[in-house]
Amino acid sequence: MLAAQIIINALVLGCLYACIAIGFSLVWGVLNVINLIHGSIIVLGAYLAWGVYQSMAISPWYVLPVAVPVFFVFGYLLQRLLLNRVLHAPVLVTLTLTFGLDLILNNAMIYFFKADYRKLTLKPPMGSVSLFHVVVPVDRLIATALALALTGLLYLLLRRSRVGRAIVAVRLDRDAAILMGVDVQSIYAIAFGIGAALAGCAGVLMALIFPISALTSTSYLDKAFVVCVLGGLGSVSGALAGGLLLALVEGIGSAAIGPAYATTLSFALLIVFLLFRPQGLLGRKGFE
Amino acid sequence: MLVSKLIRCSVVLGTAVMAIASWSASGSQARAEDVIRFGAPLPLTGPLAPEGIKQQQGYDLWAEQANKAGGISVGGKKYKVEIVYADYQSNTPRAVQTTEQMITQDNINFLFGAFGSGAAKAASTVSEKYKVPTIAAAASSSQVYDQGYKYLFGTFTPNDTLTTPLTQIIKAKAPEVKKVAILARNDLFPLAIAQEMEKSAKANGLEVVYFEKYAIGTLDHSATLSQIKSLDPQWIFVTGYINDLLLVRKQMVDQELKAPVVTMIAGPAYQDFIESAGQTADNITSASWWHPAERYEGKDIFGTTENFVKLFHDKYKSDPDYGQASAAVCGALFQIAIERAGSLDRDKVRDELAKLDVVTFWGPVKFGPNGQINSLEPPVFQIQGSKPVVLFPQAIKQGELKLGVN
Repeated sequence: MLAAQIIINALVLGCLYACIAIGFSLVWGVLNVINLIHGSIIVLGAYLAWGVYQSMAISPWYVLPVAVPVFFVFGYLLQRLLLNRVLHAPVLVTLTLTFGLDLILNNAMIYFFKADYRKLTLKPPMGSVSLFHVVVPVDRLIATALALALTGLLYLLLRRSRVGRAIVAVRLDRDAAILMGVDVQSIYAIAFGIGAALAGCAGVLMALIFPISALTSTSYLDKAFVVCVLGGLGSVSGALAGGLLLALVEGIGSAAIGPAYATTLSFALLIVFLLFRPQGLLGRKGFE
Repeated sequence: MLVSKLIRCSVVLGTAVMAIASWSASGSQARAEDVIRFGAPLPLTGPLAPEGIKQQQGYDLWAEQANKAGGISVGGKKYKVEIVYADYQSNTPRAVQTTEQMITQDNINFLFGAFGSGAAKAASTVSEKYKVPTIAAAASSSQVYDQGYKYLFGTFTPNDTLTTPLTQIIKAKAPEVKKVAILARNDLFPLAIAQEMEKSAKANGLEVVYFEKYAIGTLDHSATLSQIKSLDPQWIFVTGYINDLLLVRKQMVDQELKAPVVTMIAGPAYQDFIESAGQTADNITSASWWHPAERYEGKDIFGTTENFVKLFHDKYKSDPDYGQASAAVCGALFQIAIERAGSLDRDKVRDELAKLDVVTFWGPVKFGPNGQINSLEPPVFQIQGSKPVVLFPQAIKQGELKLGVN
C-alpha cells in the first residue's frame, strides 16, 4: 500500500511539475530563449491568487480566467518591447537580459510583499479523498486536473489554430515561415505571452500547494529546467512526460535511499539524459 | 604669459580642492571618532532573508534606543552607535568575505555574527584572525564554539537545552508515546538539533523509528511523509525553517498524517508560521531560546522583558520572536561590556564580555569558557488556539501540554 501511495503522490506531483514547466518549454523551444524570469512569473501568479483570496475570499480556481489575459499581456509586452531587440544576439545576451529582468521582478516582489513566507489556506480546507487506503488531497487533485486541462488546451491551440500552426512553423523553420508570410516578430511575442500566461496560471495553482515567497522562484525554475531536458524541448507531451518521470524518480528515490538524495538523483538523471538522449524523452524538431 | 597664468590658476584651484578635501576628511574623521561602528553581516536576500531581516530589526531597535539615550558612554564620553550592514545573500562563503571586508575596509569596531550556526562558524575564522570581539545572535550548535576561539561569544545555549526538557515533558505527560520519527533539514542547525533529539529520545527510552534528512529547497515531502505514516509514530519531530515547516505541515494534513505529538523547530516560534499555518498549527510543540512571556528585570538598556516587548511592538507593530530579541540583546551586551571597559580597545571589551554575569531582558547572561552562553533556561511552548503557550520553565509556565495534532 505504501508503494501505491508513493506512486500516486508522484503522479500527481508530476502533473504539477509539467504545469510549472510547460510555458518554459514553449518559450525555449520556439524562441530559443532560456527564460530565467519564468520562476518569478510563477511566484507572481501565486501572489495574485493569495492577494485575491485574502482581500475578497475568492478561490484561486476563479482567478485563473483573469490570470490568463493579465499574464499574456505582460509576456507579450515584455517580448515586444525588450526581448525582440536581442533575439538574434548570442544566447548569452538573451540569458543575461532575462536574468536581469528576473532580478528586477524578484526584488520588486520582495519589496512589495516582503520576504516572509505566505500560505493560502482555504477555509474550510478541501480535505483529502481516500481509496483503498491511498490518500490524495483534493486541492492537488483539482490543480492536477486543471494543469492537465491547460496542457490539453495548449496542445489543441498549437495543433488546430492558425496562430498555433504559425508558432509550430516558426519553431520548425523560421526562414521558411517568413517566406510563407508569417509575421515572426508577432509570433514570438504571442509565444512568449502564452508562456507567461501558463506560468501565471501555474503560480495560481501552486499557491494552494506550496508556501509563497519570491525566494521560491529559483526552485520552480530548477524544476522547469530539469523537466524540459528530460521531456524534450518545445513539446507539450514532452513536458508532461518529463514532469512525471522527474516526480517518479524523486518519490521512489526518496523512499528508497532517503529524501536527502532525491534531488541528487534527479540531477544525476539529468546528466544521463544530456549525455545519452539530449533531445529528451519525446523531443523532436517541431510540434506534433 | 598665458602659460604662467594657467599655471597660477591651476595652483590656486589645486590648493582650493586640496583644502576642501582635507577639510571634509577632517570633518568625517571627527564624526567617525564619536561613533562606534558595529558590523552586521546578514542574509538580507536569498532563502534566509526572512530570518536575516528579523535580526536586522533587533539590531536597529537597540541602536535606536542606545542613540536616544545619548549613545554608549566610554570613559565619560558618549559615542553614537552605527550599524554597518552587508548582505551576504544567504551564501556562506560570501558571509566570510563580507566579514573580512567589514574589518579591513569598513573599519568596524566590533562585530555581530552571521546568521545561523553554519555561517557564524565560517565567518568567525576571520573575526578571530583579526581579534575582533563578535557576538553571534543566532548560532547554537556546539561545533561553532568548540574551535578554541577567544573572541567569539553567542547568546544561544547548546541545542540539547531545547530537546532535553521537551522530551522530559512529553515523557511525563504522554506516556503512550513510544515511537519517534525525526525528519531534519540537511543544514547545520536543523540537523544538529535533530541529532540532539535522537540522543535525547534514546536516553529517555523512546524508540527512534525513522531518522532522515531532506535536501535544502525540497519542494515535495509526500513520499517521506507516506513512509513516516506507515511506521505509525506517536511523536513526529521535524526541523527546518519557516518555508520547510509550512510545507511539511500542509503535506501532513494532505496525507492525513496524525500523531499525539508533533514538534517543529524553528518555525512555530515565528508569528508568520502561526498566521500562515492557521488552525493546522494548533497543538504543535516547539522550543526556542526566548519568549515574550518571560519576565526578567534586566540591567541592560531595555530593562524589563515587558519594556523590550513594548518598545519592539511600538516600532514594528508586531511581537518580537527569539531571533529579534537575541539580536537586540547582543547590542545591549556590547554596550554593557564597552561601558565597563571604559574603552574601545578590542581586547579590553573582549575581557569584559568574557567576565559578564548580568541579568538582561533576555535572561541571565554568562558566557562559558568556550564563549557560548550557559546561564539560560530556554522555554518549551505549544501553539494553542493560534497562540504560543509556555509549558516550561515552571516560573513562566502558561498552560499544560495538549495531545493530538490532526
